[in-house]
Amino acid sequence: MIRTVIQTSWRRLRNNPSELFLTFIVPMVFFSIFALIFGSRDASSSTPKIKIAISNESPSELSERSVQLLEEQSSLRISPPNPSRGSKSNPSKSPTFKRETAQDLVRRGMVSAAVVFSAPRKSNPSDDLPKVEIMTDSFDQVASQVLAAIVQKAVMTANAEIAKTKSPDPGSEPMSNPVVWARHNNAMATGANFPQPPVVEVVDVIGGKKANPVVAMYASGIAVMFLLFSATTASGSLLEERENSTLDRLLCSRLTMDQLLLGKWAYLTIIGAIQMSLMFIWGALVFRIDLLNHLEGFAAMTLVTAGAAASFALMLAAICQSRMQLGWVSTIVILSMSALGGSMVPRYLMSENIQRVGLLTFNAWALEGYNKVFWRELPLNELSMELAVLTTCGFVFILAARIFAIRWERS
Amino acid sequence: MPAASGSLTQPDNLANAISSEAPALEVVDLWKKYGQNQALSGTSFSVKQGERLALLGPNGAGKTTLIRSMCGRVRADRGQVLLLGRSIREPDVLQRMGVIPQDLAIYSDLTAKQNLECFGQLHGLRSRRLRERVSWALKWIGLEDRANDLTSGFSGGMKRRVNIACGVLHRPQILLLDEPTVGVDPQSRQRIFDMLDELNQEGTSIVLTTHHLDEAETRSDRIVIIDHGKVVADGTLEHLIESTIGARRQVAIEATGLLMAAPSGLEWDASRNRFVCLVDNVAEELPQILDRFQRAGGVVTDLEVHQPNLHHVFLHLTGKELRE
Repeated sequence: MIRTVIQTSWRRLRNNPSELFLTFIVPMVFFSIFALIFGSRDASSSTPKIKIAISNESPSELSERSVQLLEEQSSLRISPPNPSRGSKSNPSKSPTFKRETAQDLVRRGMVSAAVVFSAPRKSNPSDDLPKVEIMTDSFDQVASQVLAAIVQKAVMTANAEIAKTKSPDPGSEPMSNPVVWARHNNAMATGANFPQPPVVEVVDVIGGKKANPVVAMYASGIAVMFLLFSATTASGSLLEERENSTLDRLLCSRLTMDQLLLGKWAYLTIIGAIQMSLMFIWGALVFRIDLLNHLEGFAAMTLVTAGAAASFALMLAAICQSRMQLGWVSTIVILSMSALGGSMVPRYLMSENIQRVGLLTFNAWALEGYNKVFWRELPLNELSMELAVLTTCGFVFILAARIFAIRWERS
Repeated sequence: MPAASGSLTQPDNLANAISSEAPALEVVDLWKKYGQNQALSGTSFSVKQGERLALLGPNGAGKTTLIRSMCGRVRADRGQVLLLGRSIREPDVLQRMGVIPQDLAIYSDLTAKQNLECFGQLHGLRSRRLRERVSWALKWIGLEDRANDLTSGFSGGMKRRVNIACGVLHRPQILLLDEPTVGVDPQSRQRIFDMLDELNQEGTSIVLTTHHLDEAETRSDRIVIIDHGKVVADGTLEHLIESTIGARRQVAIEATGLLMAAPSGLEWDASRNRFVCLVDNVAEELPQILDRFQRAGGVVTDLEVHQPNLHHVFLHLTGKELRE
């Protein structure tokens, strides 16, 4: 009997291609996606580099040399790039920013962090060392810690190199000479020729002042993923209507396919906007997300995101042949998009290539927009790129849905 | 019969343009091909105003394509469909037609009333007119007391009635019903046909496809049989019988014993394990048939004499049972 149950179950699985696909292929697809995201984090060229800006307002030799050492770091991407970097014949000075500009770049998310070498305070003559600050965006929590270590090392190395050039030539007075040896040891102990490097201070320019920065960061990721899931589930009504001939009846009435799609799009957009709003209101009430002070940006992002998600869901429904097919296609597509677009794993953890691929997903643009609103607290005009991309996506997807729906009109 | 006048959903200019003399529906030389499959091959017939027409055909004969062409859901390769003298492609003409699909094309997660309101609105009914028609429909289908119940909890027959009501809210002048009683118990079938009779008496023309030959026999004024996308018979039941198998009776004989071959003049009906033949005069020919059996070594165990009916006509014309 048990054998019969197993045999029948196996035969049913074998006769059901979509279930076979979900059981055996989908896990491999997702394994591959996550392997691509995390597996390439070795020494390959696609390893994520930390994008930084440098502000050197100090005239000191130490800061100049530190900047040079930072530029030589393969794990850093300096913005803007120094065209002569790597060319030993022409080691020109790197263009650097003013302190405020560098800070603004961090705030706007153009770079992950900024290294600022400030001029020493003249009021304190004994303090002739530059002040070194790392202005970080704690959105990328890994970058700030890694960068702190790299800067610390660069400054110490520069400091040691400068100290070495200032120390007596060891060749002129051999260390075998007990007097020279004793003097050298004494210098080391007192730090006379090896001055201590300046302390590197890490400043969080964005997240530090927020009540609950982590929630503000991840709320949008989760919200966008579930927005896509709920929109595609609801768009399945189109396929249900087709399967039970309700679509025939609808199209025999005064309703046209254009009106049907637009009606469903408007409904899905409204439901999506309500869903996102409820999520953020809940976040504001329970997790202290500052919604009230970001209403304008939130409303703009929510409207275009919900609209684009509705278009996307209708396009998927129009492409699929049955509600069951829509179920597994949407699961695969949304999970893939969410993985690549940063809803599951922050994009800064991904390799540079995968981050670029992620830009092809709907999620990445939506999340970037919400991050600009809640995390970076940028004004509405700074969202123009995200709003434009999502609006275009919305138009393209609904147009595709309309084109695919032609077959239902003619069938 | 009077046409369903006062169709408030129709524009006045359309109402004026439609001829009261024109057939309710006219299918003119329809051709439709899907890949290599010729679904319709010059199908033509018409439905008079106030007429009840049954459309029959074996599976794959082209019935569904024909129905979908008539309601504008399939664009024929050639030919046209006229509704009250005007092409269904003209604006608003299709609003004079009601379509009842074979499937339950209603929203199971809406109540009966909400379903009616939805389809009423989609046919252009608004406010007071909508309320009146929904109220009428609920009474017509006998579900006034279940108006606010979700249709998912309804029996099959009740769902069928709601399905039909959704297609007649806008008072169509012609109603296309694709197997409206499939999977319905006899009481519900009777109820549905009573409802349709009521509509017909008010002037609505009805085109019905069915797999129940008795429905076609008793519930239609005229029968059209199609096969391989063509009309193979068109007329009243009497006319069809007369023009195909005449007034002859069918004799069906079940027999045992070693029969080397069918006695002359009889055919073996393998589907029912019996011999059949058509006779003009039962009293004269039946004894001769029985004699032939006896001489062939067979023993007659059962004998039936049938008056010709639609089933015989259908078999004669298509060579198939209706459900084949």
